[in-house]
Amino acid sequence: MKIIACYSNKGGVGKTATSVNLAYASALEGRRTLLCDLDPQGASGFYFRVKPSKKLQNKAFFKDVKGFLNAIRASDFDNLDLLPANLTYRDFDIFLSRMNNSRSRLKKALREVDSDYDVVILDCPPNISLLSENVFKTADKIVVPVIPTTLSVRTFEQLNGFFKENEYQRKKLLPFFSMVQKSKTLHKDTMVALRKKYKSLLKNYVPFSTEIEKMGVHRAPVLTYAGKDFAAKAYQDIWHEIEKKIQTK
Amino acid sequence: MDPFIYLLPSALNQKKLQKTLPDTPPYKISYGQDEQQEGVLLDTFDAEVFQSAKILFQHGDMLLLIDLQSGRLLQQAAPETWSFAGDLPVGPVTAFLQQLSKLRAFLPVASVGLCRLHGLLLDDEGKTRARLHHLTICHGRKSVGIGITEYLRGYRKAHDDLRHSLERIGAISCQSVGQVYRVLAIKQGKYTAKPVIELHPEAPVKDTTRTIISVFLQTARANEKGLVDDYDTEFLHDYRVSLRKVRSVLSLFTGVYSPEETAQLKKDFSSLMQKTNALRDLDVYLLNKLHYFSLVPADTHEGLAILFDYLAEQRKKEHSDVIKVMRSKSYRKEIGRLEKIFTNGSNLATGPKAEEHSMAFACRLICKRYDKVCKIARDIDAQTEDGAIHQLRINCKKLRYLMEFFTPLFPEDEIVSLIKALKILQDNLGNFNDYSVQQTSLRHILQEKMSEFGSAKLKVAESVGALTAILHRLQKKERRQVMKNFARFDSPETRAAFTKLFHTPQIEEGVDENNSLLQ
Repeated sequence: MKIIACYSNKGGVGKTATSVNLAYASALEGRRTLLCDLDPQGASGFYFRVKPSKKLQNKAFFKDVKGFLNAIRASDFDNLDLLPANLTYRDFDIFLSRMNNSRSRLKKALREVDSDYDVVILDCPPNISLLSENVFKTADKIVVPVIPTTLSVRTFEQLNGFFKENEYQRKKLLPFFSMVQKSKTLHKDTMVALRKKYKSLLKNYVPFSTEIEKMGVHRAPVLTYAGKDFAAKAYQDIWHEIEKKIQTK
Repeated sequence: MDPFIYLLPSALNQKKLQKTLPDTPPYKISYGQDEQQEGVLLDTFDAEVFQSAKILFQHGDMLLLIDLQSGRLLQQAAPETWSFAGDLPVGPVTAFLQQLSKLRAFLPVASVGLCRLHGLLLDDEGKTRARLHHLTICHGRKSVGIGITEYLRGYRKAHDDLRHSLERIGAISCQSVGQVYRVLAIKQGKYTAKPVIELHPEAPVKDTTRTIISVFLQTARANEKGLVDDYDTEFLHDYRVSLRKVRSVLSLFTGVYSPEETAQLKKDFSSLMQKTNALRDLDVYLLNKLHYFSLVPADTHEGLAILFDYLAEQRKKEHSDVIKVMRSKSYRKEIGRLEKIFTNGSNLATGPKAEEHSMAFACRLICKRYDKVCKIARDIDAQTEDGAIHQLRINCKKLRYLMEFFTPLFPEDEIVSLIKALKILQDNLGNFNDYSVQQTSLRHILQEKMSEFGSAKLKVAESVGALTAILHRLQKKERRQVMKNFARFDSPETRAAFTKLFHTPQIEEGVDENNSLLQ
């Protein structure tokens, strides 16, 4: 089982759209995939029409194996299941801080589903916290959407710095350009500059697309209703790039 | 969670099903329906699909397989006409059919009308909580619905709700294909190459002999039509195995019939079998075609391809000769006569053992043969001539047949496990013999048939040479395994099991003086 986190310490960069569409692309390849919604806002669940889990409060997530397994819901698509979020995830940090080995708790919880899934995708909330440190430790790869704007790039550099300072493996980070508008010079220039600096940047990028914005209306991964859209295809290509790096089969 | 696999005798009433669902959560079933299509129900002659609790349909260029055990529904594209699993493109149905039988043809059992319906049980958010796959099958004036519910992880209650609603509208659990066939009035194929024969331990062995021969004759005859129509090579194989068994009964059950009667019957059956010898040999060659190609170097493939084209041509001729024989008056008269003899049996001249109890007779024969097998095998070492290996093979085969003929008289699991122990040794000896026979017939081609190949003579000769060398090496390899396999078969446990199972009081009291097993 490979764990892919979708993370950014900045909000609004297309993190949930990325998690949902990458999870769908993975399932489409026949990999048994679990999308874990760790964001208390529960947007991933919304896109799959899965209601928030009432029972899976943070205590259960880390301590009650049965509760954790029972909260998993099948999506409407083959090979794709979802662990919906719970509002109490807001308190993850307080809860984690009270536990021993608070930075490796997530790994332990996910071990329970090791034989059920080939790929677990974590949709993470946008902050640096005890939970995100769990994610940095547990994930095999961390996919980071970066909008080619000054602010978004700065946030990525902060994340990179945080990894360096705290001796997390920087090679886990897989940044890619998200919501790209090639008509904007700023976007183009930023992409060129950043590609020179970070060789780990994925080759494919996701353009800004109204089809992705419509995910909230369709409540489904973009590939299911706009398979020919460039952005939809981009997610599939990005998944293939990630796949090569994790080699699940 | 297990799916609910059901049978619905009436048409699926969608409104009624919706009404029987609970009010909370507010469910809605969304349907997608295919148009009714004409299709055909397929199975092998020995009903292997049926026996494995599955139903196989073809409609147009689609194959549909329903597994009544797991509730899986498999579908894939297929050519409109095909016979063998090997003719199909890669796919989930192909994978299953290949596992089931590589040699048997899949033949039409009945013409059917098919109509598929997919249902999604949705909640108020439009999320699917359970799925329903429903198939209406029509045959003549009869029709039935078969359905499978699909549980989605985390939605147990929704699945239960759907199941209960289906039950409320008349769905009943469907556990066997027989249920479906009965409702549709489709005749179930009864053929089996290994019929279960009812035997009585105290019945005179002449009656048991007659029963066994009669059943094998019927089995042989059941294959005649398929053999003539040439659906697959198993018809001829089963036909010959059944006749060979009849001949074995006649030669192994000494003393049941008078020596003259036995000799005449053996002659009659041998002459029946002889007519198909060449066809079977060619079948074996052609079935092994890919294997042979894999054995020899690529530069000899061209010659081998010419040889196989020749063999395929020969097979065509040989098959049309066999058809002529099977359709001839003389054949039908002869097989009818033999069948009749064993149906009433009163005209057969009996021998000194005819009245012996079947159980005592069986034990005596099996013990004697077992001893003979052990005696031959224990004398075999690395230097022993191949002739002794052939003797061992023949005796193992006779022992196997004896045990199989009399299986109904003994506790099934015990005798079956002894047959299994023997089988490993027998397979080994069988391969040894096959390699030997194949070399002989290749030599025959080299010596007698080369003129048939014209200018390709040299290429064919090279390929035949390469193949013979490989077969010789393989035969040697099998030869080296014989001692090891016999040692495994000759374990104290197997010996004890033989003694326990075939050791009768009469033998112990010394009625059978030849039984060295107990001496």
